[in-house]
Amino acid sequence: MDKNMLVGLDGLPEEDKARMSAMIDHLQLRDSLRMYNSLVERCFTDCVDNFTRKTLQKQEETCVARCAEKYLKHSMRVGLRFAELNSQAATQD
Amino acid sequence: MAANNPAGIDKEQAFGMAATEMEYRVELFNRLAQTCFNKCVDKRYKEAELNMGENSCIDRCVSKYWQVNGMIGQMLSAGGHPPM
Repeated sequence: MDKNMLVGLDGLPEEDKARMSAMIDHLQLRDSLRMYNSLVERCFTDCVDNFTRKTLQKQEETCVARCAEKYLKHSMRVGLRFAELNSQAATQD
Repeated sequence: MAANNPAGIDKEQAFGMAATEMEYRVELFNRLAQTCFNKCVDKRYKEAELNMGENSCIDRCVSKYWQVNGMIGQMLSAGGHPPM
């Protein structure tokens, strides 16, 4: 989600645009925090199984780093496809 | 509702609907991303990059998920919402 959504709102008065913009900012912030939490949970669940030590082992660290990077790349790719499908749907109407 | 508004929707309602729509889209995106990651990506994390197979899988998964989303949307709006 980004401010490109606001392009369709050109006709609105400034205060309404500002309000929509604030709503989008709020949703983006909330979504970022949720992504952070879910990424931590995912990579922890997938990578950490051993509790004989209280610090992460090297392979656990490597796994977590790869997991996070992979998910973020995946999320970007999904975002591209999602935007494509969204704009197709819009033009079909 | 404002008597002088032919559309019958006041501004507050419009903002509320826009907010709900945006939240729905965010939720849709998040669930889509999580589902396709679970279906397509090897959890052993042998590397940080997505390989070609995973990339194709992701593209197809997103496309199919979208189709299912459309189907269900149509079913729900055509059949009406049964009382729970």
